[in-house]
Amino acid sequence: MPNKLKIASLAAFAACAMAYGAQAQDKLQEVLDRGKLIVGTGSTNAPWHFQDAEGNLVGFDIDMAKLVAKGLFDDPEAIEFVNQSGDARIPNLVTDKVDITCQFMTVTAGRAQQVEFTIPYYREGVGLLLMADGEFADYDALKAAGGDVTVSVLQNVYAEDMVHAALPEATVDQYESVDLMYQALNSGRADAAATDQSSLAWFMTQSPGRYKDAGYGWNPQSYSCAVKPGEQRWLNFVNSVFHEAMTGVEFNTYAASFKQWFGVDLDPPQIGFPIEYR
Amino acid sequence: MDFAAFLDQAWASRNLILAGLGRTILISAIAIFFGTILGVAIGVLLTYGNIVVRFVIRIYTDFLRGTPVFVLILACFYILSVAGVDLTPFQAGTFALALFCSSHVGEIVRGALKAIPVGQTEAARSIGLTFPQIFRYVLMPQAMRQILPTWVNTATEIVKASTLLSIIGVVELLLTIQQIISRTYMTLEFYFLAGILYFIVDFAIERAGRYFERRVAIPD
Repeated sequence: MPNKLKIASLAAFAACAMAYGAQAQDKLQEVLDRGKLIVGTGSTNAPWHFQDAEGNLVGFDIDMAKLVAKGLFDDPEAIEFVNQSGDARIPNLVTDKVDITCQFMTVTAGRAQQVEFTIPYYREGVGLLLMADGEFADYDALKAAGGDVTVSVLQNVYAEDMVHAALPEATVDQYESVDLMYQALNSGRADAAATDQSSLAWFMTQSPGRYKDAGYGWNPQSYSCAVKPGEQRWLNFVNSVFHEAMTGVEFNTYAASFKQWFGVDLDPPQIGFPIEYR
Repeated sequence: MDFAAFLDQAWASRNLILAGLGRTILISAIAIFFGTILGVAIGVLLTYGNIVVRFVIRIYTDFLRGTPVFVLILACFYILSVAGVDLTPFQAGTFALALFCSSHVGEIVRGALKAIPVGQTEAARSIGLTFPQIFRYVLMPQAMRQILPTWVNTATEIVKASTLLSIIGVVELLLTIQQIISRTYMTLEFYFLAGILYFIVDFAIERAGRYFERRVAIPD
């Protein structure tokens, strides 16, 4: 079935469900009384939510959910994960199948009318991956080479425009799957691979020293968790948890997770005047 | 493609793959079993029921056959939960497949029963057999020969349709494979493996169907 139809039918179900979904008690209290957090997420996207070799669910989204559980119960493991496809993120929220969805959800105005987003915990963008010992040193070198550069990218309607936004003259080779896209870079058929910064960062941590980031990112988008509309107190709570994870008491947990999945050491927030108001 | 590395990863993930395969087989077996029982009842009612029963059952089968399985699965998962029946993804998905299976089996059974000349029923009745006896000894043995080949078709369809349960989060074989791919980046290799495993399951159903076809065939 075409993806559009899938999404349309899911939206229709969500709408039906929303019409019925009566407002019960306060969500924060409900979760506290239950003693565990029910989190909707996926299981097929590294480094966000995927299974390690032992079959455990791991990733940056998972760590965000654990921060919320830690805040609620002082136990990061007090979570029941509900496995859901990307299309099911909104329906599962509005039908109360999950308390919160943490599944690399891009914040858009359209979605913000159906669910309520928490503050963002990551800024995604497209980046360029190069071989560490390759011909081109960085983004400027790629750009200077103009039409002599071939970029491998995952097949997509917008792939060509996406690459040309950063490298207007580059040749774009589209590949069916992620492994083939990286394979093109490895074998020298492509000079750079263009994909999500997070995927690049994760891929680089998998084989240290083999690749490098070209140092240019574009197509920004914010990743947030989402909750059911109308649960203001619950939303405030999750926002507080995330805010303090990025700037306050849980910064070390957040930074350790960031380092693990994206290979980047974060500087601690400056002490004194709160950085977010500068 | 590095075949040794693929075998390595496949071996390391063998328990996950077997669990996924097991779940696919379990879902399919439950759905086909209950779908067939319900389907036979539907087929009989469609053939011998009175006009009101026939009308109601006709709407049921036409509605189910005219709806994509995908929509059916979503309906069982989301609509039922809104109506207060809170099924797990596994239960909702298997239920949807069983309903889908029943509508198809119902039509198969109806067609097979209709193909038997009405004179046979009349003859059976004239020697004093009751309807259950006629059904058991006269109609069903003949209908089976018609039903089996198409029933195999429906059963293999159900196995294939079980992949759609991944959309509501049931970790069956396909979702298991996708989880492994997201860790190993070996897309084509693992999808190929999934293809082989699905083929083996469907091939086994086909062979079983053939075996029973021979059992019910008219001896030469």
